[in-house]
Amino acid sequence: MVVVGTAKNSGKTTAFNALCAVAGRRGIAIAVTSLGRDGEPADALDGEAKPRVRLAAGTLVALPAGLVPRTPAMAILESGASSALGAIVFARAMLPVTCEIGGPPTARAMRAVVRRLTALADGPVLVDGAIDRIAPLAGGDDAIVLATGAASGATVSAVAAAAADAVARLQLPGRDPARERERVVEVDGALDVRDAQDLIAHAAGATVVVSDPTRVAVRGGLLAALRSAVDLRCERPLRIVACTTSPLGRGVALPVQQLVHAVAQATGLPAFDVVSDLAAFPAAAS
Amino acid sequence: MSVDAVTAARIGWDWLRAAVAPAGAFGRRYDETASPYAPGDERRAGDEIAECVALAQQIEPAALERLRGTLRAVPEPTPIVVRAQAGDVLGDVDFYELARFADALDELERVWNEAGGSTQRRPPRVERLRALLGPGRDGGGFYLSDAFGEGLRSSRAELLQAENALELRRRDVAERVRDVLGIVPAGDEFVVMRELHPGPLPPDLRLVREGPAYRVVAFALETGARDDAFTRVAAAEEAARRELSLRVAAEHDDVISATRALGALDHLLARAAFARRWGGCVPELTATIAFEDGVFAPLAEQLAARGRHYTPLSLELPGVAVLTGPNMGGKSAALATAGFLCACVALGVPPPARAARLPLLERIVWLGGDDAARQTRLLSSYADEIVRARDILATASQRCLLLVDEFARTTGPREGRALLIAVLEALRSRGAFALAATHFDGVAEAAHVSHLRIAGLGAGTFAALDADDLDAALDAINAAMDYRIVAADAPGSASDAFALAELLGFDRSIVARARALCERPGDEPTARG
Repeated sequence: MVVVGTAKNSGKTTAFNALCAVAGRRGIAIAVTSLGRDGEPADALDGEAKPRVRLAAGTLVALPAGLVPRTPAMAILESGASSALGAIVFARAMLPVTCEIGGPPTARAMRAVVRRLTALADGPVLVDGAIDRIAPLAGGDDAIVLATGAASGATVSAVAAAAADAVARLQLPGRDPARERERVVEVDGALDVRDAQDLIAHAAGATVVVSDPTRVAVRGGLLAALRSAVDLRCERPLRIVACTTSPLGRGVALPVQQLVHAVAQATGLPAFDVVSDLAAFPAAAS
Repeated sequence: MSVDAVTAARIGWDWLRAAVAPAGAFGRRYDETASPYAPGDERRAGDEIAECVALAQQIEPAALERLRGTLRAVPEPTPIVVRAQAGDVLGDVDFYELARFADALDELERVWNEAGGSTQRRPPRVERLRALLGPGRDGGGFYLSDAFGEGLRSSRAELLQAENALELRRRDVAERVRDVLGIVPAGDEFVVMRELHPGPLPPDLRLVREGPAYRVVAFALETGARDDAFTRVAAAEEAARRELSLRVAAEHDDVISATRALGALDHLLARAAFARRWGGCVPELTATIAFEDGVFAPLAEQLAARGRHYTPLSLELPGVAVLTGPNMGGKSAALATAGFLCACVALGVPPPARAARLPLLERIVWLGGDDAARQTRLLSSYADEIVRARDILATASQRCLLLVDEFARTTGPREGRALLIAVLEALRSRGAFALAATHFDGVAEAAHVSHLRIAGLGAGTFAALDADDLDAALDAINAAMDYRIVAADAPGSASDAFALAELLGFDRSIVARARALCERPGDEPTARG
């Protein structure tokens, strides 16, 4: 399971920690890693305090050697690909521990880390992710949780729209030869604004295939127009299963219940506020 | 031994170094510190080459590759033991890497024994280091287990107890929060929206920050006992690491010595693999250049890639000799072969030959031929060659091999021939080794040096060929050419320039006219071919 955010400070690590805590309470052994660097005390860019990553005893983690906490000591199981902070180390927490986690720098190495964690762990693998770096996880059976909140909009409707846009983009259906239109256009690399305009003008009605949803670089109205003009699909789909909402942003506090309901309604996915302990489901929302 | 860039390119020096490059970092480091063998190193060079050949005979190619692959996978312990020796307290990942190093040496020994490697050259072991880290090994990993320090077990038990007590307290508060506010907090910090809960907060919560619409609150738990226990664990763990680091530091010399042994083994295995590939022999290291069925491996490899065959060469070079023969007969290849085989022994590599007597040299130098680098300079071909010859002759000594490829061919033939004769006389008087390929006539006799030649094209082998099919022409030349080096007075063809021109599609009437001119008394040119 991968947690990604629609924007910086959208509650990604908070959602990640909540999932860890729930697993701990239910006695589910998990393995964790990160697609970036998470759990540091303060944001490296803006200095804002950030939630730390708390691991229960028994949790398996993949993190750079430079981030392995000295106390309490972890059991080092293996080492793997290199990263800016040293080799990626697979370790097990022997006592509850608070730490930063990070991951390898390349998509291929990330895929290998997740594969190895899956093999070593007795339970699910939880990845603190990044929306622009989940391509390596496409095409698998990983579940993706989208963290969204006031960091991506100053109003409930703006946050809900941003979440809906992200979900629409990431939830592209997979390629299905049985349903392909007569004309199929395969797009190498990113599908940008110019590509979208060309496709709308010259390939209406065709099936357009990108390698994975992160290759679609158009947003909002243009993406909607493209999807109505063509049958947009991908070789390796992603599976978004839920959203989380964070009502607090810089100088912004959104009504928590409205937000969680609006996001559920806009995305068609279950939405959770793990801090205020609220949930909304699309069926109930609609 | 020194080899300049021009010579290196001609005799395959860089190719050879790449061909015997070690598989792993230890071998590469070993190679960086190992200089080529020089005169006086005959015993060491001979022992090394003999060991390489013995290894090549002893170990199958597949097993050799397995050994090299295992060597490549041995992790690098040097920075860790150096830090330990400098007084650093190592981390658990460092101990893990050292344990992996010890494991890798065990694996290497297993593969070595499986391959039938000799007991004299058995891979190194680090038994004391392995024993030191033993209490932390569980499977392939490492954990700073309780056995590493007296206070570890008790302080960790206390920390666990304190963590459990804190968790119980946290659950109590969480239950109260759930009952009063209807929130089940996932973490220690959570948000209370004023729209939902405008009233006072329950006890055991503290306000972190607030806005008009929300309050961020956290559990106000007494963490003193847990924090103290954590501090005690931190102190005990650091003490254990410090002690273990000191003991690792004491193993510094053993570990470094093991890495050197690994480097030497990697170096040898690379050479053994080369000998397996190219059939190296144990040469007699003496002040003679003589070999049977020597192979200029870089050229043999190129030819094999094009489906062509390389003909091994035999040569006995009694000091200075002139080598003549047809174009495309392999004169330059013969020079390169002599240089390559001498380079092999300088690098402790079994020379690819059936048998060889070779010297350790101070210098190998190539003079003449096309030099691509020259074209970037302002000198003419001739001037460039003369400047290079000037520098070479200034230092040429007994322990030099000069490979002279058509020296002075770009100046007037009469003066060019005279210059070559004079150069060879000078080299002969200094006792240097030199092999000079040339098309000038009578050079060997005039310089009083040996005269060798490429045996050349056999008679009557040039059936009509499609003039445009160069590939077919090359095949025909290859099939007809006798590349052997023979004494100049041996029977057979001496110059095949006209035949080759015809074979390569040159206008037959022009060739016939040239042949007629050549046969007219008084018209013989001074340079052949």
